[in-house]
Amino acid sequence: MKNIMGVIYTGESDERLRDLSQTRAIAALPVAGRYRIIDFLVSSMVNSGAKNIGIIMQKNYHSLMDHLGSGKEWDIHGKNEGLHVLPPFLTRENVGVYTGTLDALRSNIPFLSRSKQEYVVLSGSDIIYNAKLDEFVHAHIASNADITMVYTKNPGMIRDEYGTYLKVDEDGKVTDIETQPTHPHYENTFMEVFIMKRELLCELADSGVAHGNHHLTRDILLKGVTENSMRIMGQEYTGPCWRIDSVQSYFQFNMDILDTPTRKSLFNNESPIYTKVRDEMPVTYGDKAKVMNSLISDGCVIEGTVENSILFRGVRVAPDAHIKNCVIMQDGQVHSGAYIENCILDKQAIIKRNSRLIGPSSYPIVIGKNVVI
Amino acid sequence: MLKKKTCVAMLLAGGQGSRLGVLTKNVAKPAVPFGGKYRIIDFPLSNCTNSGIDTVGVLTQYQPLELNSYIGSGAPWDLDLTNGGVFVLPPYQRIKGTDWYRGTANAIYQNIAFIEQFSPDYVLILSGDHIYKMDYNAMLDHHIRTGADATIAVREVPWEEASRFGIMNTDSEGTIVEFEEKPKNPKSNKASMGIYIFTWEKLRKYLIDDEADKKSSNDFGKNIIPSMLNDQQKMVAYDFEGYWKDVGTINSLWEANMDLLSTPLPIDLHDKKWRIYARNPGLPPHFIADGATVCDSLITEGAEVYGNVKHSILFSGVTVEEGAEVKDSVIMPGAVIKRGAVVRRAIIAENAVIMPGAIVGESEGDIAVVGPNMTVPAGASVKAGVQVDEEFSFEA
Repeated sequence: MKNIMGVIYTGESDERLRDLSQTRAIAALPVAGRYRIIDFLVSSMVNSGAKNIGIIMQKNYHSLMDHLGSGKEWDIHGKNEGLHVLPPFLTRENVGVYTGTLDALRSNIPFLSRSKQEYVVLSGSDIIYNAKLDEFVHAHIASNADITMVYTKNPGMIRDEYGTYLKVDEDGKVTDIETQPTHPHYENTFMEVFIMKRELLCELADSGVAHGNHHLTRDILLKGVTENSMRIMGQEYTGPCWRIDSVQSYFQFNMDILDTPTRKSLFNNESPIYTKVRDEMPVTYGDKAKVMNSLISDGCVIEGTVENSILFRGVRVAPDAHIKNCVIMQDGQVHSGAYIENCILDKQAIIKRNSRLIGPSSYPIVIGKNVVI
Repeated sequence: MLKKKTCVAMLLAGGQGSRLGVLTKNVAKPAVPFGGKYRIIDFPLSNCTNSGIDTVGVLTQYQPLELNSYIGSGAPWDLDLTNGGVFVLPPYQRIKGTDWYRGTANAIYQNIAFIEQFSPDYVLILSGDHIYKMDYNAMLDHHIRTGADATIAVREVPWEEASRFGIMNTDSEGTIVEFEEKPKNPKSNKASMGIYIFTWEKLRKYLIDDEADKKSSNDFGKNIIPSMLNDQQKMVAYDFEGYWKDVGTINSLWEANMDLLSTPLPIDLHDKKWRIYARNPGLPPHFIADGATVCDSLITEGAEVYGNVKHSILFSGVTVEEGAEVKDSVIMPGAVIKRGAVVRRAIIAENAVIMPGAIVGESEGDIAVVGPNMTVPAGASVKAGVQVDEEFSFEA
């Protein structure tokens, strides 16, 4: 669909991701062997026909910018439109750090008004999905909605004290919204994906901030629903999705895609997920390699044993090393005689000879970037 | 007028590569997949980029469709540039009729106008037949330093094989004094690699003279090099050491693939300073299932392995089903080896399907080949050295 543009907001709270989000935004978290979370969002938008995509940066955005580059890998490096990286900046009315989505959008009204597309898909960046967003836009137009909120009934998305939940009537109209309830009352988890006309988004951001509001959902949409001043519709997404808001959910997502049907529903030929290419050599397996139920990325050299694990690009597993239920990010090394279980190794971490490291399966150990054990 | 370039590369990619049989029935040889994620042409193109040569003409003629779309804008090799980049050059029509490329020299002759746009001082002539990493810039420096009119890359081959090659006889300073094509009694073991650097002004003159000679077969090795030598132009040999493998036959293509499984690697493809770039299909990491066994192999993104793989190379999107056995083989992109099928010493081309229980290849003898998009029916067997294409009929 030609008439849509994308905006991705990347400022979610990340304290429960511990060390994993210390050096990067959630959107830049490495997942599934060769991707970062943002790849799923940008690819969904690109596969839905969006060629003009703005990414609102907030915290630690260096690795995100480095990853996205010119947008070439996603085919969003057009002459006039393409990838727009939108970092925070200081102005008279803007102190640089956004209190909420509305402030972020308000600061980027110039980008929004310069764009030509009629509809905007606005997405958060801590939920992984692979959605045909253009179908939601068609449904949005057909339903005469002012705003469409995309939700899922996936029970794995529900959190206490976190997230937004929707009550939707049989016509698809949103009749109640609750944000960060102690215990959610509704089974419909909002996926932080909105669809609306670009002009409406500009208007809401401008007048919202002018009236002292900061949050699009809590301050504007909830009011629209309770006062019945806006037609807000819900559209259900039935595909696979994961909320990455803690070490456990990060770990679980990686383990979930070891399941072949789940993996094939997320990665399909119709809507490929694009990412930055590293041009690594294919994986070399030594003659003593033993690998089962694992995803292995290019550039790895495997001479030891790997079980139920995700290996990112360039990981080295020495002979007699044993890895079980682990996520090992780019260029990690596990030396001979080492045994690690239920661990997440951040980039370039090294586990030296004969070390043993066993985490509880419910609370995996995180080894920080460049750490040597 | 385009920006001047010191050196322009011309890559001869128009040959049929008929010795690769069913593998080059519908694609030009340089587009043949190699080494798990590459195609043959990735090697010269990556060498150009890594050598700082950013203007490359690719001469195509035989079955160019797949090669053209593979090269595309040249972005995977950083050759999508405002000044320079990669240019696909097919033969074209003129007022006075249409002409195919009649030989390697004629192909360059027909593109004199292309080369002149960049007013280069030197022209590098390459082919798309070999797997190697080479710094063309070092060769260019050598050419400039020695003040040569032509520099020919040579490598030492075993003496007993020297009579199969074009041999350069040189003096003590590396100046070529004689060129012998496949000599019975070789005087030297320095074989031409088919990689030439010419001072452009000189080459242009020889190309024009060669074209005027109706008896010439318009070939670099047979005509241009000998006549330059005859005229006592300064011709210099440039010694290349390192991995260099011809992949022009089924056996040599299979061997070159298998070379990537030996330790230490004879050609280091992990080298971050000399990456071999390739177009990326954008698939997730490969999956090795519970119950699969994989050893001594090379596997790339998008592959799914549920069976047993030993001493083999699996390209992107290959599936090896449960109980299937793949040994000493090369399985190209998208091919599927179904349950219980056995593949040994074979090359399975793109998107071919080996149905359950079929047997392809034997543990000894020549390499069996299943052509692109072919299906080997359940229970059928393909003997060593056999090539399966549309005309092949399986025994009932």
